[in-house]
Amino acid sequence: MSPIAQVIKASKEFKSGDSIITALKPSSMQLEAGKLTLILGPSGSGKTTLLSLIGCVIYPTSGEVIIDGVKTSSLNARKMAGLRLNKIGFVFQQFNLLAPLSAEQNIMLPLTLMNISASEAKKRVKDAMTKVNMSHRASSLPKMMSGGEQQRIAIARALVTEPPIMLCDEPTASLDSASAQLVMEELRALAREGKAVAIVTHDMRLKPFADEIIYVDNGEISKTEIIQNI
Amino acid sequence: MLRYAWQFMKYDKAKSLGIVIGIIISIFLIGQQTGIFIFLTNAMKALVVNSKSDLWVVDSKTVNANALGKLDIRKVREIQSVEGVAQVFPVVVAGGTAQFDNGTTAGVQVIGSDEPAYRIGLKKEKIIGGKIEDLLEDGAVSADYFDRATLGGALLGTRFEINGKKAVIAVQTRGVRGFGGVFLFTNIEKARFFGNQSNNTVSAVLLDVTPGTDPIMVRDRINKSVFGVRAWTSKDFEASTVNFLLSNSGIGFSIGSLIVFALIAGFFIIGLTMYSAALDRIRDYGTLKGIGASNGYIVRLILLQAFLFSLVGFALGYLFIDLFRRGVSKAGTVFEFTPGIIFAFFVVTLVISIGGASFAIKRIISLEPASVFRG
Ligand SMILES: Nc1ncnc2c1ncn2[C@@H]1O[C@H](COP(=O)(O)OP(=O)(O)OP(=O)(O)O)[C@@H](O)[C@H]1O
Ligand SMILES: [Mg+2]
Repeated sequence: MSPIAQVIKASKEFKSGDSIITALKPSSMQLEAGKLTLILGPSGSGKTTLLSLIGCVIYPTSGEVIIDGVKTSSLNARKMAGLRLNKIGFVFQQFNLLAPLSAEQNIMLPLTLMNISASEAKKRVKDAMTKVNMSHRASSLPKMMSGGEQQRIAIARALVTEPPIMLCDEPTASLDSASAQLVMEELRALAREGKAVAIVTHDMRLKPFADEIIYVDNGEISKTEIIQNI
Repeated sequence: MLRYAWQFMKYDKAKSLGIVIGIIISIFLIGQQTGIFIFLTNAMKALVVNSKSDLWVVDSKTVNANALGKLDIRKVREIQSVEGVAQVFPVVVAGGTAQFDNGTTAGVQVIGSDEPAYRIGLKKEKIIGGKIEDLLEDGAVSADYFDRATLGGALLGTRFEINGKKAVIAVQTRGVRGFGGVFLFTNIEKARFFGNQSNNTVSAVLLDVTPGTDPIMVRDRINKSVFGVRAWTSKDFEASTVNFLLSNSGIGFSIGSLIVFALIAGFFIIGLTMYSAALDRIRDYGTLKGIGASNGYIVRLILLQAFLFSLVGFALGYLFIDLFRRGVSKAGTVFEFTPGIIFAFFVVTLVISIGGASFAIKRIISLEPASVFRG
């Protein structure tokens, strides 16, 4: 099976004044459908940079990032946005729900962006909320919900478009351990359903959920570990 | 998107209120100044507007209806004999001082035209008291209800003196007011009498053309054949009067600069408040970009908010303008806004709020989608 996301000798440099910061040295990796990949490493090691490359929010300085057969370096900003919308679901450390919108509207948002008909969208939103056990909070504003609840709504928003890829940056870092457990179980279930799930973390306790662990250190991938889950 | 825009606005109530108040204040100031401008220009041309004729004929050097020169009575006969002229109505304007029993004095213009036509100042629909026939009585003149304060409270029946001669208010009008002096209308003899003017001059001649004749042709004929006079259509004479007074009084400049000031102030109040409201929501806009909204979508979301702000701001602002209009009309500052002007107010509201939104739009467009991963 060919990987859904490929990073091929991709690097990322940032200009900061006169100096150039190498956030990621040329690195290669891939994400496969049905697998949960952990990206582990210390702070500042380049985890988020790697995830941003796969997430099509930045272009590689060198090398290639290929999402579902499309090279991101060939896309303009608008097409990149389209790729993100259609292929990738995002989950963030700070949940990033739109504060003025209710839980339901937050989940609806990507479907609105995709111009999906209202009736179809409603149905999908309902299903997504059921999946994360949050149907009872449909009309709540984000600020009325706990961190764990917000993160489950964020997961519902990420999966409602049925993207093949889910990218999560520290999804459990703002949660207590019970909520973190719940969120990780949901993410693993999504992987089992066939999505490629990548999770950036520096929390070793998430290791048991992984099918594969990519270690990032000092701007490069230092080790890749395949875990044989039963 | 309408729903989202509305919820963004509702979520940040304080800022939204600030934006709406900014719009209300600037549209109110603009409306108020425009209203006063309309009132003043109406007053400038009031003499012409409140007359009825096909053409005005005045001294050839006169460009302002409020400062008429003198026409020799022989000119009146010459004008009468021009082909296409059906009937002439001479007008005499005499300056004077009105003096009241309670000690009030006021500068007045006594304006006379032939009875019973009374082609100037005494339109039926503007008369609210007294009978027009009563103007035949000794010393009888009309006065406007809204000038009562200037005239020491004088109303229908009040006796007073003009240039030391006995006068009485026999007809009361409403909304026939001049720019500067107070208008008192009567017949020609009395205007001459009060102003001590000779029987050999008049101030202007109004005329009707024969039925089926083009007034423009008659105007040109008079201008070609009668020396020392100038014939105008009412519209042209109004325009000339307003232009002359605006450019010689500084009113156009002062009201214009106030309007420009209100525009600029509104633009920046609204712009900065929208900008700061957008900064408050910068994370949300970043998230939108991160999950795949195009710049176009986000720009539309902000523009839609600006549009909704203008709808709300305009509705309330116009309400205040109209309250102001009703309020001052009780004091005699009467003006109306045409649908075109009201529409222009709305366009101005749109321009300042959409223009104001441009600061926020610029900021949001420059936002990197990658920002979504940074706290
Ligand atoms: N936009 C940017 N401009 C300049 N430097 C950047 C930028 N983004 C990241 N960096 C730098 O690149 C390096 C890697 O950053 P990155 O965010 O990928 O680390 P990380 O592994 O996600 O760290 P953390 O665990 O703290 O989130 C850091 O030194 C960081 O300061
Ligand atoms: Mg990071």
